[in-house]
Amino acid sequence: MGEEIKMELNIFHMYPNLLNLYGDGGNVLCLQRRCEWRGINTNIIDFTLNQEQDLSEGDLFFIGGGSDRSQNIVYPHILKYKNQMENLIEDDAVVLAICGGYQFLGESYIDADGNQLPGLGLFDYYTQSEEGRLIGNIITENQLKLKPQTLVGFENHGGRTYHDFKPLGVVKKGYGNNGKDGKEGMVYKNCIGTYLHGPLLPKNPHLADYLILKALTRKYGVKDLAALDDKLEYSAHEKVMKLYSK
Amino acid sequence: MEITGAVLVGKLTVIGLKSVGLGATALPGKMAIKIDPNLLSVVDQRCKKKIIITGTNGKTTTTNLIHHILSSQYKNVLSNLKGANMEQGIASAFINDTKKEYDWGVFEVDEGSFQAVVKHIKPDFVVITNFFRDQLDRYGEIENTSAVIYEAIKPLDTTLILNADDPMVAKFKELHKKCVYYGVEENELSSKNQRIVESRFCPICSHELDYEYFNYGQLGKYHCNNCGFQNPDYDYIFTNIRAGPDGNLCDIDSRGEIFKDIHFNYGGIYNAYNCLAALTSCLEAGMDASKAIERTENFEYHLGRMEVMEFPDKTVKITLSKNPIGLSEVLKSITLDKRKKALLFILNDNPADGRDISWIWDADLDNLHQIENMKYICCSGRRAEDIALRVKYTNISPDLIKINDKMRKSIENVLKEDVEIVYILPTYTAVFQARDIILSHLKNRSSFLLNIKELVEKLKT
Ligand SMILES: [Zn+2]
Repeated sequence: MGEEIKMELNIFHMYPNLLNLYGDGGNVLCLQRRCEWRGINTNIIDFTLNQEQDLSEGDLFFIGGGSDRSQNIVYPHILKYKNQMENLIEDDAVVLAICGGYQFLGESYIDADGNQLPGLGLFDYYTQSEEGRLIGNIITENQLKLKPQTLVGFENHGGRTYHDFKPLGVVKKGYGNNGKDGKEGMVYKNCIGTYLHGPLLPKNPHLADYLILKALTRKYGVKDLAALDDKLEYSAHEKVMKLYSK
Repeated sequence: MEITGAVLVGKLTVIGLKSVGLGATALPGKMAIKIDPNLLSVVDQRCKKKIIITGTNGKTTTTNLIHHILSSQYKNVLSNLKGANMEQGIASAFINDTKKEYDWGVFEVDEGSFQAVVKHIKPDFVVITNFFRDQLDRYGEIENTSAVIYEAIKPLDTTLILNADDPMVAKFKELHKKCVYYGVEENELSSKNQRIVESRFCPICSHELDYEYFNYGQLGKYHCNNCGFQNPDYDYIFTNIRAGPDGNLCDIDSRGEIFKDIHFNYGGIYNAYNCLAALTSCLEAGMDASKAIERTENFEYHLGRMEVMEFPDKTVKITLSKNPIGLSEVLKSITLDKRKKALLFILNDNPADGRDISWIWDADLDNLHQIENMKYICCSGRRAEDIALRVKYTNISPDLIKINDKMRKSIENVLKEDVEIVYILPTYTAVFQARDIILSHLKNRSSFLLNIKELVEKLKT
């Protein structure tokens, strides 16, 4: 048998100083720790303005949400990377986009005054601001066949997103994409968009590991991951179920 | 007879008006204000001078300290000291007191209520402490919060007392009101880098700000290379800061006049800012400096937000920790304490806490690794598992982490630990309950000791 290679993932944290609402940076920390605990190296690359860098080195990309102002600052910069992002997604790179980041992957965001703010346009969906914010704890059933079936988090958005992509989850409690069609988030290849804060991954370690495994499969052909002690993770998951599933 | 809502409100109106006119009954402010929305205008007329304190963190401490300082020179100072900082809170403070005339009204006003309050109460001074993210699901984003306050101040004839070190606050100089600026010099708790910076972009032109150092969140020495925006010149600055776990010793430089060795009993840089905000306000209000400083030094909190309780075998410190910056700063100040210690987090997600507890992931918990002699970290409250998970992901030894979502039991356990000091860090709705539980233990413990003493005495005779 040959020497075992030390595996390594490059995790791009996109615009962490601008798109960093509601503790979403915790997702990156979660991915990092869960790799570390398995002896997988991680390089966290903070990618932001005034920085020109080749994204093709990236295995995993995280995009959080920001205020309208922040997203407007980000837009002209990220636009230069649109083609590269597109190719990466087609090539099965792992992308996780939350809330504003999820909206941003679509065509546009129509604000309360009817103004159309452009998105990156990687997918042909749009988000419309409608009256009343959708706020609260949310419980969905994931469509990725992960066990346990539930995903838990906290949503807080004024925009409603409409699309025909496969959703990440079916809403059991809460609002989801638009509060109407019972869908939450979207999945295209290994790109996931979702409204779930919380942050999402620490309390949903099955989803965190799904993303890590997808990245490792793409890079190293790995088929499974070593198990971790997730008692605490699932007790936090269960707590949300206990308090908010009714 | 069925009492309909309208009848009830009608009856209460009478009582309500009586209470305002005659100073008779105490009536909850919430009801009173529903009945008479002009109640706050009555408060306005009865206070000769008024100070309003707003911003995200430090309002309650600053308000209490200003009240404490002013009370040494003025007989009648009206204030909502307990941190009930919406319209009702001010109304309640008044209804519970109802004097004909006050020398000063000192009011803490929540960012979300500021606009409504200043429609009635016309402040001589507005103190703005800082703008951080807090309870986002109530107020929207930080830029919006400050914009609403900015607009509400426009028509006021008032002096602004501004934290010069917070770019979001210094922006208020653009209102061209009379402004007084305070700030805190670089010190041993300052850092060159800040992991959780809420908004390090220029509030004037959105360009990224350059920082020489950070004191606390985005508070620090900043400069915009694009438009030149930077810290305004200080009217009051804390210099020569000697920080300790039980307070800070500093000098004040006020426009060239130096006051030396001022001691404030509460540690952490955030408390240096609170202390200076209060002193600046009182000196600008015309208080004698030596008296104001004397009062600052003997200020004590009894509200649980920041309180120290001495048990026979250990010290217990409660510090309200309800947002990322607050929690990070409290942990940072604990790193100065070398005693053998236990930590108890109490995380609730009731509406008054903010239902979204994801903010704990925005806090800098890496500070935990710098704390020496940590024996035990207990996690409690409705969302005990969430804070435990947050602690786990700092890579702290899992053996240190205990979970108990029952607050009473967790306090009982932590008080039994063989440590010199227990730090209790509750969110808003947990703070008062936690305090009561600890106080009841304190009573039991001391009466137990008394009994033993008596027994010993009896055995002697
Ligand atoms: Zn600027």
